[in-house]
Order: sequence, then structure tokens, then C-alpha cells
Amino acid sequence: MKRKVLWVVFVGLLLGISIALLWQGQDSLASPEENEAWIVGIIQDNHNAPVEEVQVTLHASGSDAPLSETLTQADGHYTLVMPKEIPDSLSIQISRSHFRSIEINLTSEEIQNLKSGRTITKPAITLERQIGAAFWIATIIFVLVLVLIATGVFHNTLAALTGTALLFVVSYLGRPFSETLFIFNFHGAIKYIDWNVIFLVMGMMILIAVIENTGIFQWLSYFAYRISGGRVWLLIPVLMLITGIASAFLDNVTTMLLMTPISVQIALAIGINPLAMIIPEVFASNVVGVSTLVGTPTNILIGSYGDISFNDFLANLTPGVILAFVGLIIYSLLTFKKDLSQAKTASPELLAMLAERGKITKPEHLKKAGVVGAGMLLLFIFGERLHLVPAVTALVSATALMVWIKPDIEEMIDAVDWTTLVFFMSLFIVVGAIQEVGLISIIADSIGKMVGDSLVLTMLSVIWLGAILSVFVANIPFTAAMLPIVGYLTLTVPGAETKVLYYCLSIGAALGGNGSLIGASANMVTAGISNSVGYPITYATFFKKGFPAMLITVTLATLWLLLHFLL
Amino acid sequence: MSGIVCAIRGGPSSQSTIEKAIELALEYSLPIYFVYVVNLDFMAHSSSSRVHMISQELEHLGEFILLNAKSKAEKMGVAAEGIIRHGEVGNEIIEVSREYDANFVILGQPRRKGEEDFFSDKRLKVFASNIEEKTNAKAVLTEVNQNNEA
Repeated sequence: MKRKVLWVVFVGLLLGISIALLWQGQDSLASPEENEAWIVGIIQDNHNAPVEEVQVTLHASGSDAPLSETLTQADGHYTLVMPKEIPDSLSIQISRSHFRSIEINLTSEEIQNLKSGRTITKPAITLERQIGAAFWIATIIFVLVLVLIATGVFHNTLAALTGTALLFVVSYLGRPFSETLFIFNFHGAIKYIDWNVIFLVMGMMILIAVIENTGIFQWLSYFAYRISGGRVWLLIPVLMLITGIASAFLDNVTTMLLMTPISVQIALAIGINPLAMIIPEVFASNVVGVSTLVGTPTNILIGSYGDISFNDFLANLTPGVILAFVGLIIYSLLTFKKDLSQAKTASPELLAMLAERGKITKPEHLKKAGVVGAGMLLLFIFGERLHLVPAVTALVSATALMVWIKPDIEEMIDAVDWTTLVFFMSLFIVVGAIQEVGLISIIADSIGKMVGDSLVLTMLSVIWLGAILSVFVANIPFTAAMLPIVGYLTLTVPGAETKVLYYCLSIGAALGGNGSLIGASANMVTAGISNSVGYPITYATFFKKGFPAMLITVTLATLWLLLHFLL
Repeated sequence: MSGIVCAIRGGPSSQSTIEKAIELALEYSLPIYFVYVVNLDFMAHSSSSRVHMISQELEHLGEFILLNAKSKAEKMGVAAEGIIRHGEVGNEIIEVSREYDANFVILGQPRRKGEEDFFSDKRLKVFASNIEEKTNAKAVLTEVNQNNEA
């Protein structure tokens, strides 16, 4: 009985509060100071892209006191609510950092309509960019980050973090002295972080951490040796295929960290120079990895920005990748012909050691990782119909696997490469800064003017600019900076609406990595392992073998893209 | 204990080092301790947290390299042992030399300028005198050919 009374009191209280809140809400909706009329419109930049957080203020002409004010939404729309008393002359002031402020006077007809309680819709307003101190500072910081990464003075993550910190220091400490020093605030900066990329990379890292300890790579490599019967002309393509397929689903660095040691052992066992085995493998890793959304970090960035699904990557890139891969196999066998001809029969002692290494160490984990991996693949392929974003698929799969195998959670947390995730987050902010101040917009305009309306010229420019620049600069920051440019070209170049330019960027940025030792992280770790066992891969060695490989594979992939999208 | 410590990292550049160690072992009737040091400095600029995993893989690779060197010595009738260490190459070689009270430490001296690493010419000579200061061993430098380009 007592409980019933308590329930009645509780429900009554809730009801009372709700009615009070509703009353208050109605009161505010029907504010005596407001009119029912609105002014609505959209604000965009010179690329017709919506501009967010533009300050839109309504004034009586000749007065500074705002009658109404608002900020534009993410889609560039604004709504100004009219005051109850509307003066005879009105103007709208529009201002935002890094754009020229403008003032628009309302016509007497518009004012009359507003006075009669009718909403008016203003035509789209285009804001012009303003190049000030913030523009140059953000540009210098971006270049500084690229230089720090390229020269290796700082670790990638520290370089990007330094850039982010400098942007905030200038924005927050510089603003009190001059408004022109403001780039963005913290809230504005984190809007540039693509959380889809962060969670997708994190989910994949957890899955990889389970798979890498099962011994599957060692088993596969030894299996390749056995099925090839020691015939190197067969062994090399099989190992390249294994590396390539693994790279299409795992990150290239992990794939090469696992493949290189066992490959060196196989090479030593059969008496060939290990470089003749591991250099083709790292080429294959960089080429085949590009065929899926999760195969390379650049594809993850491209997929998320351009809204390109796992299936889209498979359908539009895989045939081109197969073509490039075949070319790569032929090139590798020819270029390493002399080394491969030195092969001999492996000694029983070394073979026994190889067989020992080529065992699955955790079959139970492998089985479970296989089941979850297959489920994840199906979700990547069919999840599109459920609007399932890849980050959710990866995160759900990683969690399901952890629940199933119950690993040491500390070990799993350690396996997540936090430095890479922080690198991505900081990089998004640094690239966001040059986007904010208008540098990307200027570059996009210049490229747009150069290529004109020609889709072929634009495709070739994006592929080869990507490939050549990726030889010299890290391809992740390059891709992150290129994405808004490619986004703009996709909207402006006739025929590019198929998102072909995103695929061009994917091909250029990833395959360009084969052009030099510093072109891809996988190259560097492979060289590191090789060097530590007495087979140094110098910059010159890699360039001599890698640059022609890059030219061949990019040419073949370009042919495919041209045929696929233009015929 | 006494013997010859021979630091190797595999590859053609280690062959003359191994041969020199065998030559001295036969001359002084000493066993050889082949040392392979797992060093992960090359991971410093890579954004990978796979240090533990790659450390294990390099250890396996080191065992493979040591097995090759051991069998070469044993074929010549010399007793040999393989030792794997993790850490900074110089410190580990000195540590092993002390532990095994080595008479000789054999180090490969590059014949031509290669990339700046621990076994580069200039640093190797400084290291050799450092070994002789800190241990009872005599440091022996052997010329090696680093030309192993594919």
C-alpha cells in the first residue's frame, strides 16, 4: 500500500514537472519579442560548398545593435528569427574567420513581407576567401610537419602533434593581439578528425594482434616453399601472392614484419640472396594492398572521405591491381634472375628448422579469428545495405573476437598502435587548418584551371602526381591533403561524378610507395629487418629496383582505370 | 671459460668474420661463441607497436643465422655455440665477452663505406679499443666485403 502511494506521488511529480516544462517551452516559443516571420538562406564558398559557423546578424540600418543573430549549420543554412518590431530599413551582416565580411541591405519589398509575417528566402550568398596572417602560419606549419616527417627528425606522430600544438598556440595566444592570427579553436579543430577512420584502424589493429600471433604467416610461407618444391620461379610468385592477399586485409607494415623474417630464412636455406625474395614481397604488399578499403591507410582515408564502400574498391580497383600484379611478377622474376639462378637444395638441418618455424602456434585462436574474419568480410560486403559504416563493422568484429577468445585485455590494448591513431588525429587537424584558411581551396582552383574540363587529363594528373610525390613524401599526409582537392574536382570536372578521381588518388598514393625506400613504411621496416641480418637494402638499391616497378605497376593500373571509366 | 666471441649478423659480410674465428679457434684450440644481437633501433621511426612480435621473429632469424655459422665451424672440427642477445649491439658484445672471459673478439670491418651503422669502419675501430679496455679479450678486425646487392 505504502509502495503504491509512493508510486502515485512519484508519477504525479513527474507529470507536474513535465507540464511546467511544457508551459515554459510554449512560453518561449511564443515570445512576445519575436515575429513569426523568418529570413532563411544558405552561405557557400566559391566552390559552392556550404560554409559552417558563419555569423549572420540582422541590424537596423545605421545601428550596431543586433536585432537577431544566428550561425550557419553544417549544410550552410541559416534562419534569422524576426523581432516583433521590424524597423523600416534592415541589413544582414555576414562574417566568418578567413572570409571577407559582407553586408546585404534588405529591399523595401522584403521588409514589407517580413512585417506581414511572411518568411523570405534569400538567394545563396557566396563568401570570398581572405588571405591573412593565419593563412601563412597554417601553411608554414603544414610544410614544417611534412619536412619533419620526410627528414625523420621527429617521429611521424610527434611531427603531427607538434604541428597541432603550434596551431593552437598561435590561435589562442595570438588572437588577443590580432584577430588575423586566429586559425581555429579546439572545437573547430576536432571537427576535422575523421572518427570513422580512427575506429576502423583501431578495430583492424585488434584483429591483426590476434592473427599475427597464430603463426599463420610462417605456416603459409613454409607451405609456399613446399608446394613450389624449391623452384624459385614458382616460389617467388606464390610468396608475393601470399604477401599481397595478406596486405589487402591487414596493414602492410604488419604483413612485412611477419613475412620478412621467414622469407629471409627460406632464402638462406635455398642459398639465394634474401633481397631477391623480400623486395618483390614488399612490392606486392604495396600493390595488392590497394585493392580493398582496409588494405592501406590511404584507402581508409579515401573511403571515408569519398564515401566509397568496400565493394566499390573491390569492383573498381581489383582488376587493375591484378593487371599490375602480373606485371610486377614478370618484372621481379626478370630483374632478380641472376640471384634466383643461384638457388640450391636446402640442407636437411635448415629445412628441419624451417619446418619447425612453419607451424601454427595457436590453432584455436586462428580458427576463431578465421570465423570472425569471415563474418567481418561479409559485413564489409553486405553491410552497405544496412548503412553499416566500416568502422562499426571492424569495431564489432574486434570486440566479438575478444569476447570469444578472452585474451589478456592489457595485451590487446598494448597491441593497438596508439601512436598511429594519435598521428591520424593530429594529421587531420593539421590538414584541417590548411583547409580552414583556404590553402586547399586555392590549390584546387589552380589544378582545376590547369586540367580544365578534361577528365582524362585530370585522371592522369591525380594518378601521376600522387605516384611521383609519394616517392618523396609520406603518402598519408599527402593523401589527407589531396582529398578535399579531389572532392572539389569530382564536383567540377564533367564525368568525374563516378568518383573515379578517388580511385586515381588511391592508385597513385599507394603504388607510388614502391618508387623509393621512404615511399612506404613497409619498405622501411623490411629494410630494417634485412639490414639487421646482414643484407642491407640501401636507398640506391631500392630505388634501382623500385622505381621501374612503380612505373610498370602505375602504368598498368592507369590503363585499367582509363578503360574502365572512359569506355 | 675462455674462447672466441664472434659477433655476426648474417649475410656475406659475416662470412670472412666466421672464417677468421675458425682460423683462430684452430690455431689456439678455443671454442667459438657466435653472437647475434637483436636490435630494434630500426623500428624507432615506424608507427608500429609490434615490438614484442618482431623481437621474437628476429630472435628466430638469429637462431637460423647462428645455426649456419655453427655448422660451418663444426665441419672444421671447432666446437661452437650460438648466443642470442637483445639490446644495444656494442654493450651486448662486451657483456658476452666478459661472461665467457673471451680471449678474442672478432669483428667484421667493412672494406667500403656503407650506411652509417654499428659496423661502419670509423665506429668499429673505436669500439675495438673499447672492448680491449673493458674486457680481457683482444679485438680482431677482419676485412669484409659488403657488396651483397641483389
